[in-house]
Amino acid sequence: MELTIADAGSAPRLFYGPGPRKRAALGGPGKILDPIKLANGNYLRLSVSLYLDDTPDGRRMKVEKSSYQYQLDREGKRWIFRYDYIREAGADPHPQAHVQIHGRLAESGVAHRGLSKIHFPTGRIALEGIIRLLIEEFDVPANQPPETWRPVLAEAEQAFLAVAHRPTSAPGD
Amino acid sequence: MPPVELEMTRDEIIAALEDGARTRLNLSAVELLRRYRLGDLQDPGCVADLLVLADLLPDDDVIFQAA
Repeated sequence: MELTIADAGSAPRLFYGPGPRKRAALGGPGKILDPIKLANGNYLRLSVSLYLDDTPDGRRMKVEKSSYQYQLDREGKRWIFRYDYIREAGADPHPQAHVQIHGRLAESGVAHRGLSKIHFPTGRIALEGIIRLLIEEFDVPANQPPETWRPVLAEAEQAFLAVAHRPTSAPGD
Repeated sequence: MPPVELEMTRDEIIAALEDGARTRLNLSAVELLRRYRLGDLQDPGCVADLLVLADLLPDDDVIFQAA
């Protein structure tokens, strides 16, 4: 994040709860619920819960939930888009990986709840993809030149996709 | 560079959950978690950071039993 779009001193932190360190959460630079301030003065609310899992290949850190929300204010009332993922859907009726966009449709009569309430199913999206989206489509300035951050993001995203859990668009499948 | 690590106590987690749930949805933390468990939150993503925070608590924490 510091290499790419985070403002100076606004890198995410890893939080632990009480007890043995089998769970953790990536959150804000100060308190866990703080969003990360970006180089353009806007914010990325980064929330990822992690847990240790004993697999046949050894102990692995896995993502239980992740949420990446681009927003214009600290409180998140002026959010732009949000990518969510949850490994176990439970009773949540939405696609386990989806994107929401805080906006209005140009056409009327096609979505009674409004655009921002629609959970568009997606594949699993890496944080690196969000960073690239913000730089290339939302004009968030990068802290380093493209020849520095592009290969770093590409390598990290490939490593993520090689092991990432990929749910279908049907909740709970 | 690896992220800085911080440890939160149960009281800190519960206090942040209560404050966030009250401020954003006018719900208690227990009610927020109950509605989420039942699939009754219309837009869980808007409180995804609170749900991630709750994941720091062990599964047998009393707040989940109450929810």
